[in-house]
Amino acid sequence: MSASPEIHAVYWPRGRKTVSFAPTSPRPGSLEGKTVAFLWDYLFRGDEIFPMIQQGLAERFPGINVIGYDTFGSTHGEDEHAILAGLPDRLRELKVDAVISGMGC
Amino acid sequence: MLRVSAVAERAGVPAVSLVSEGFVGQARNTAAGIGMPGLALAVVPSHPDVQSDAELAANVANTTLGMVVDGLTGAVAEVGALSEPDPDAPVFEGTYDEVNRFFTENLWSDGLPIVPPTRERIEAFLAFTDRPADAVLGNALPDNRAATVWSVAVNGVMAGCRPEYMPILVALAEAMVDPAYGNEHSGNTPGAETQIVLNGPLIKQLGFNYEQGALRDGVQANTSIGRFWRLYLRNVAGFLLHQNDKGTFGGTWRVVLAENEDVLAEMKWPTVAVDAGAPEGANAVSVARYTGAHVVVSVFGRTAEECVPYLADALVKYTGWELIFTVGMANGTYRPMLVLSPIIAKTIAASGWTKAMLQQALFEQARMPARLFEQYISGWTNLVPGRRSLFDLARLGKAPKMFGASRDPERLVPIVFEPAHITIAVAGDPLRTNCYCLTHNGMLGFPTTKLVALPDDWRAKLDAARDA
Repeated sequence: MSASPEIHAVYWPRGRKTVSFAPTSPRPGSLEGKTVAFLWDYLFRGDEIFPMIQQGLAERFPGINVIGYDTFGSTHGEDEHAILAGLPDRLRELKVDAVISGMGC
Repeated sequence: MLRVSAVAERAGVPAVSLVSEGFVGQARNTAAGIGMPGLALAVVPSHPDVQSDAELAANVANTTLGMVVDGLTGAVAEVGALSEPDPDAPVFEGTYDEVNRFFTENLWSDGLPIVPPTRERIEAFLAFTDRPADAVLGNALPDNRAATVWSVAVNGVMAGCRPEYMPILVALAEAMVDPAYGNEHSGNTPGAETQIVLNGPLIKQLGFNYEQGALRDGVQANTSIGRFWRLYLRNVAGFLLHQNDKGTFGGTWRVVLAENEDVLAEMKWPTVAVDAGAPEGANAVSVARYTGAHVVVSVFGRTAEECVPYLADALVKYTGWELIFTVGMANGTYRPMLVLSPIIAKTIAASGWTKAMLQQALFEQARMPARLFEQYISGWTNLVPGRRSLFDLARLGKAPKMFGASRDPERLVPIVFEPAHITIAVAGDPLRTNCYCLTHNGMLGFPTTKLVALPDDWRAKLDAARDA
């Protein structure tokens, strides 16, 4: 008769989350008259896609105001930490109502 | 890109993220890692880089635009509560096979069997550090989890490390969570893999292989610590295939490269760690992510001058899109590494060359035509938009002047900013004339060095561990 196999009490290999789940911000019902900021990582044809989106938004919401990505600089590169750290102030300063961020590929 | 959206949302500004179809899965997982699983996405079908202008315009108009509007004006996604195990209590009890099945089913294993992380084994690891088990070494991105001494020990046990490796494991976790390293990018599509370099007396004390087969699995210290790195990336940082790890192909984890410090001392060349600022003789780990590695076979030469052209050729030949980390995306962050076999290193040193002289010669000879450089960063890849020439980038202050000395497309330009950006290590078969060239992932795994802190009674504990 063989011996009983050893039983191991083992521990979770992950770690406690340092952030808790949060909901996103309340949305406006429309983008009419709103200021929308484009933020870009300067990759994957964003220089072609953002103008298409801008045109499409302008057709749907004639009073929309767009702030281009050059206002902020590349969000993926040697300056990304600094740009992210300063972004809340920059959005307030520019009275931004909504953000479109790209390109994740 | 998702981090931008999360920052905006936390500032009270609604955001939507533009993602290609293949990025949706990672985006969902990254959003959860950030703590905002309801982040809005707007999808560009397929991948923009392979679409005609007409296809892209149609896809944006027919799919992306509507999702942008919905994401910015629609209902706020509901967020459920997060429920996870208590790290301080056993998560499972079972036989060896049952434990391994449980860990595999929960995606906590890399596909190989793990050593069950029991309290007894974990505590044996904790005995090799003076830091408390609950000490937080930093925040592991992108999953935003506390990197603790305890979790280092758990994953070290699982990887098959020995308890006396613990000081090295702690230093590696510190390197992983250092913001300068850029760990949050470790799941990027090129699938780059970290190379750990070890320096100091621990190389011999713990029996690392630094000679023949220095980068081959088969020696417990080199191999299990390499495995630990990827297990920690998986379990604490959160890089899982089909989730946050989006490597197109990826590769197996690399074993630790221990330098041949006897040869370095003989040549009076500094180690990789000393080059990075560590004190002479200190135990230290250096990490960086490399997109690929290639052997440079049969370097032929009796002098430094004869050996360098082939090594310089390898640095150029194996560097392609990575040049966006020299000029383009993250200027001056490209750090390729050459590993010299001792006999080649000694041949170069015998010509009276210091490591700095070798780096200078490589910097001067590892050059490519400006037209080819431009193809890599903006022609064939479209990673630097606008198709600006190196001459124009230099004129605009976006590249050092040496990249814009003239408009001649055939002029030769360097592949790094300065000689010291070419990392030189020495290891491998002492009497073979092969070298090894690793191409680097720039700021997305930037070279980071950490000192290894030993417990006060290190020697006694090490002797006891050897006798155990």
